[in-house]
Amino acid sequence: MALFNFLRPKNKLEEGGRSSAPVQQDAGEPEENCPNCHKDIPLSRLWANNLVCSCGYHFRMKARQRIQTITDKGSFHEMYPRMKSGNPLNFPGYKEKIGTVRVASGEEEAVVCGTASIGRQRCCLFVMEPGFMMGSMGSAVGEKITLLFEYAVEHRLPVVGFTVSGGARMQEGLLSLMQMAKTSAAVKRHSDAGLLYTAVLTDPTTGGVTASFAMEADIILAEPGATIGFAGARVIKQTTKKALPEGFQTAETVMEHGFADSIVPRSGQKRFLAELIKMHNWRAII
Amino acid sequence: MFSKILIANRGEIAVRIIRACKEMGVATVAVYSEADRKALHVALADESYCIGGPEASESYLQENRIISTALLAGAQAIHPGYGFLSENAHFARACRRNGLVFIGPDPESMERFGDKAILKEIIRGTGLSVIPGTKAVLSLNEATQAAERIGYPVMLKACAGGGGRGIRLVRSKDELEDAYLQASGEALSAFGDGSLYLEKYIFPARHVELQILADEYGNAVCLGDRDCSLQRRNQKLLEETPSPAVSTEQRKRIIELAVDAVKKIGYVGAGTLEFLLDREGNFWFMEMNVRLQVEHCVTEMLTGIDLVKWQIRIAAGIPLNFTQEDVMMKGSAIECRINAKSCGTLKMLHVPGGLSVRFDTCLIDGSTVSPYYDPLLGKLIVSGNDREETLRKMRVSLCELVIDGIPTNIEEQLRIVDDERFTAGNYDLTFMGSR
Repeated sequence: MALFNFLRPKNKLEEGGRSSAPVQQDAGEPEENCPNCHKDIPLSRLWANNLVCSCGYHFRMKARQRIQTITDKGSFHEMYPRMKSGNPLNFPGYKEKIGTVRVASGEEEAVVCGTASIGRQRCCLFVMEPGFMMGSMGSAVGEKITLLFEYAVEHRLPVVGFTVSGGARMQEGLLSLMQMAKTSAAVKRHSDAGLLYTAVLTDPTTGGVTASFAMEADIILAEPGATIGFAGARVIKQTTKKALPEGFQTAETVMEHGFADSIVPRSGQKRFLAELIKMHNWRAII
Repeated sequence: MFSKILIANRGEIAVRIIRACKEMGVATVAVYSEADRKALHVALADESYCIGGPEASESYLQENRIISTALLAGAQAIHPGYGFLSENAHFARACRRNGLVFIGPDPESMERFGDKAILKEIIRGTGLSVIPGTKAVLSLNEATQAAERIGYPVMLKACAGGGGRGIRLVRSKDELEDAYLQASGEALSAFGDGSLYLEKYIFPARHVELQILADEYGNAVCLGDRDCSLQRRNQKLLEETPSPAVSTEQRKRIIELAVDAVKKIGYVGAGTLEFLLDREGNFWFMEMNVRLQVEHCVTEMLTGIDLVKWQIRIAAGIPLNFTQEDVMMKGSAIECRINAKSCGTLKMLHVPGGLSVRFDTCLIDGSTVSPYYDPLLGKLIVSGNDREETLRKMRVSLCELVIDGIPTNIEEQLRIVDDERFTAGNYDLTFMGSR
């Protein structure tokens, strides 16, 4: 490195103009339309920006990609990779559907669990997969999350969870609803052990997941614009026959009403989480 | 405005760009080769990353490494400086594909204006005079026919050329075959393209160029002319503005034509139109440089306009906030390029100072001149109220400049500014050859 350190001038950034490259692309490059600003964005550009549009819209992200962006390189070690749901109720068509989804998403189940380092802070991590039946919670999802919390208690590790879910998996009926109680109990035992659990709610976090481990975290963060709720907006509208207020079930409204602690854009999540874990590190406190 | 810029260059130009960024409040990312670990630009930047071995092809020309570094460091734009990747359309396109701003023209313009034969066709339609010549000649036979049509002496030039390589003067038919083969071979190895074109040899002539700034909203201004006739083997040694050979009336006319031409061709960014000026006062368009020039500093000293800052602003989509009428061109400015004559390690550096004296350099204590890069150590630029005052100041400054430990051309520059023909402003491209 350099031989010496110069003092750094504190000039403020000049104003005006663009702060990044205007959207440009090579001929024939595939594009994705942004549901927020309705502009077409070349895929290479979108991927380079962690699936965030220049207007700030956060596209849904696959679990593996999220793990790659949030954890330190090579630090993620997956746990329970082969655990998967059966078809306990013999629900018609479920076996075929889940087979197709497994091939399409490349995952065995709707959550990926493991241990990792975030900004050199060790933790247990679970990330839900939107491409797997919209992250629905079946018995395997509940079991994996419960086991992860139990592992975290045993090894005195904080837990970080990224939630994305349409709710409990209806094909598994009551068994999937039971996962709400089971995971909640695991979270409680983790909390009683004095350990930190941080949840990051991403688009969409709804149904049984919201009603259980997503909202039970010590610190609840959310991605900008994420839909967070229990019943879907359309169902509520049809049932109550009333117009819903603007911004209903968005992360911003949820935070305004005190159900989330902060909204953290994707670009700042790694640093934010690392700082939170560091602050709550029991070794540091002792 | 971009909050972070990567500087894909080294030496004095990297330092120059980092300084402009710091003034603008922009964070800087430097890249460097193993030979440049202790270079000034590495120490000055906010972040620095080693990108490879000492050969330029292993580091400063490694497009993918530079783009990866920019993406990892979170830079939004890349300033290529001059040389290296500054005129590389492939690199500019790769930047764009990765969501990075290449501070310079877009790759399509670069391709259009980079091919001299195509550029001349474009310029011919704008009202500027173009040296009589040909498009790319495909064979020696075709070259011979074209040369006879134009009339000897002719110049053979590389279509993709620059920096004085791939150029041959042909005085008669006998010399054509050798010159054709040599120039073609040289162009092929230097630029990867051996195609050549022919043009009439204007003799005697001066090399006069016009500095242009144009934004994406169709505004274009010319920041005056520079006389770069003092060259050795097509490498510029000393530049001055305004050219002593151009009258105020002539200047006004050529500036109007040039601004008009730049608007017509839709160029965006900083650029230079290069002309040959013959004895009759005719400007013959030669080529356009689509990047910052080494000698941009003389224009800055004369006009007070920071070209690097404006390059960055134009790239960020900020419109020019001045017009041609606002450009002040009063007084005179001269630049002497201080080159290393061989390798060495700096023992002591003394830089001249005073009003309107500027030394843009990359030298610091312990600097080593390596054989891998251009021998330019720095540029001494002075300006004054008139040419006489500037010359006096240049002599004083050259005498005061001490670069101990590295053999330099300071004394040679002193002899040039003392030469009667130079002080009288009476010189052309043959000046260095005749000394």
